[in-house]
Amino acid sequence: MSKLVLKFETAILKEVAVGQQEVSIGRSPDNGIVIDNPAISSYHARVFHEDGRLMLQDFGSLNGTFVNGQRVKMVTLKPGDSVGIGKHTIVVTDSVEVRATKLDDATVKLAVPKINETVMLDTKDRREFLRQVAAVGESAQPAPGRMKLPTLVVLKGSTDRSEYTLTDKLTVVGKSAMATVKLKGWFKPKAAAQINRRDDDSYYIGPADKVPSVNGTPITHPTKLASGDVIEVAGVELQFVVRD
Amino acid sequence: MERGGSVMEVGARSDTGRVRENNEDSFRLAPELDLFVLSDGMGGLESGERASRLATEITVTHCRDAQADAALAVFGKQIEGVSDVCNRLASAIRLANQEIYQAAQASDGKSGKGMGATIVAVRFLEDRACIAHVGDSRAYLFRDEQLSQLTEDHSFVAEQVRRGIITLEQAGRSRMQNVLTRALGVEQNVDVEVTEELLREGDTYLLCSDGLFRELSEPQIAGILQEATGAQEAADSLVEQANHAGGGDNITAIVLRYAPKAAGALSKIGRWFKASEDAS
Repeated sequence: MSKLVLKFETAILKEVAVGQQEVSIGRSPDNGIVIDNPAISSYHARVFHEDGRLMLQDFGSLNGTFVNGQRVKMVTLKPGDSVGIGKHTIVVTDSVEVRATKLDDATVKLAVPKINETVMLDTKDRREFLRQVAAVGESAQPAPGRMKLPTLVVLKGSTDRSEYTLTDKLTVVGKSAMATVKLKGWFKPKAAAQINRRDDDSYYIGPADKVPSVNGTPITHPTKLASGDVIEVAGVELQFVVRD
Repeated sequence: MERGGSVMEVGARSDTGRVRENNEDSFRLAPELDLFVLSDGMGGLESGERASRLATEITVTHCRDAQADAALAVFGKQIEGVSDVCNRLASAIRLANQEIYQAAQASDGKSGKGMGATIVAVRFLEDRACIAHVGDSRAYLFRDEQLSQLTEDHSFVAEQVRRGIITLEQAGRSRMQNVLTRALGVEQNVDVEVTEELLREGDTYLLCSDGLFRELSEPQIAGILQEATGAQEAADSLVEQANHAGGGDNITAIVLRYAPKAAGALSKIGRWFKASEDAS
C-alpha cells in the first residue's frame, strides 16, 4: 500500500496510508493531512487511486504543488517521489518500514551512548531536535482561533462567587484553603470534587471526598466535561460553560 | 471528618544495582516540609554523585528558607495555572540547576564534563500534591488500584512518542532511551515542568529513578504497591524486584502513602503529618 510521509526538513511529522479513500491535503483541519501554515491553501491538493495508479491533483492552490521540483496540476505518483507543498515535503513510499529506518537515519548522527549510561543531547543536537519538535508543533497545533474561556457558573448552593473562570491545572471544589470553588457551610468536605486541565486544554472532573454527578450520572472516574454539563456535588450545582 | 485522620507514611530506598559500581542517585526526605525529592546524577564517578546530591540538597534548602521567610525571592518566572507551592518548588529546582551548572563549569576539563542530574520532587499542601520534574525520573500515583504516570520524561524517545513520530513500542526498542532533552546542570537556565494533583485518602505516590521503571513494568509496580503493607516495605520490595530483574542501573524509590492513622503505625520511618483537624 502506498504511504505518504509528511516531513518538515528532516523531521517526519506524520504518515498516512492511501487506501480506497482519497487523502486531501490542506490547512483546514478536516483534511487527511493538515499542514497548518499560511502558505498552504485550505484545500490544497489530494492524492487518490485511479485505475491502479496513484494520482496527485492540485486544487488550483495559490502557492502551488511541486513534484520533484516541478509545479504540477495533476500527475501520477510513484514511490520515491517528493511532493513539495510550502516548506513541507510529502514523500511517496510503498514501504511499511520507512518509519523505523528514517528514525535511525535521523538519529545516527547523535553519539549513541554506552548501554544504560544516561547522557544529555549535546547542544548542537539538542537545538536541532528542538527545532524539529517545534516544526512538528507547527502542524500539530490547532489553527489559531478565538480564545476559549472555560467557566463554572453556580446554579445553586452557597459558594464564595457566582462564577469561576478555570485557568488552573487543578481546580478543587470544597472547603480547603486552596480550593478554587469555595464551599460555605459547616459540613462541607475539604475537597468535594476535582477538575483537572489536561495538556490539550480539555477539562476532566473526578471524585474527591464526594462522588459528583454530571447531568445526573455519578462520576467515579475522571470524565471529560463538555460545555453545558451540569455538575452536582456537596449541595451545589455548577454548570460548565466554554465561552468564546 | 475523614481527612483529619490521615497521615503521610514514608518509605525510601536507594541501591547501586547489580551492574554499576557507584550510586549516582540521591534522595532527600523533608517530612517537616511535606517535601520529598529524588535525583539521578549523570557524568560518571564523582560528578554524577555530586550533581544529584546538589540537586536534592538545594531543592530542600530553598523550600526550607522560603518556609522561614515567605518574602524570599522566587527564582525564575512565575508559572501560571499552578499554586505558589508549585512555583516555589520550580524556583528551588532552577536554583539547583544553576549550582550544578556552575559546579560543572568550575571543575576543570574532564571531571565536570557531562555532569548533570534529573530531578523529581513532590510537595504536599492542604488538598493537593505539587509535582515538579526535569529529565526522566518519574512520579506515579497509585489510586483505586490503578497506576498512572504523572510526569512525562524529558527524553529523546518520550518527546518523539508525544509528537507521534514513533510509537511507544518503537520507543521501547530504541537505542536512544538514555538520551535526555532536559537535565539540570547542562545550561544556565532550565525549564521545570510542574503539575498538581488532588491528594486523596488512600493515595500512594511513588517517585523513582529510571533504574526502577526500566526493570519493572507498570503492572509489576502496581502489584508491589498493592501487596505491600507499609510504605517502607513497598520501597524495599520495589528495589529488590528491580535488582532481581537485572539491576542494570542505580535504583531509587520513595513511596508516600496517605493513609488512615492505623496503617502509619506499621511504618519504619513513617511520621505523623497532615493530621489536619477540621471543624466538621
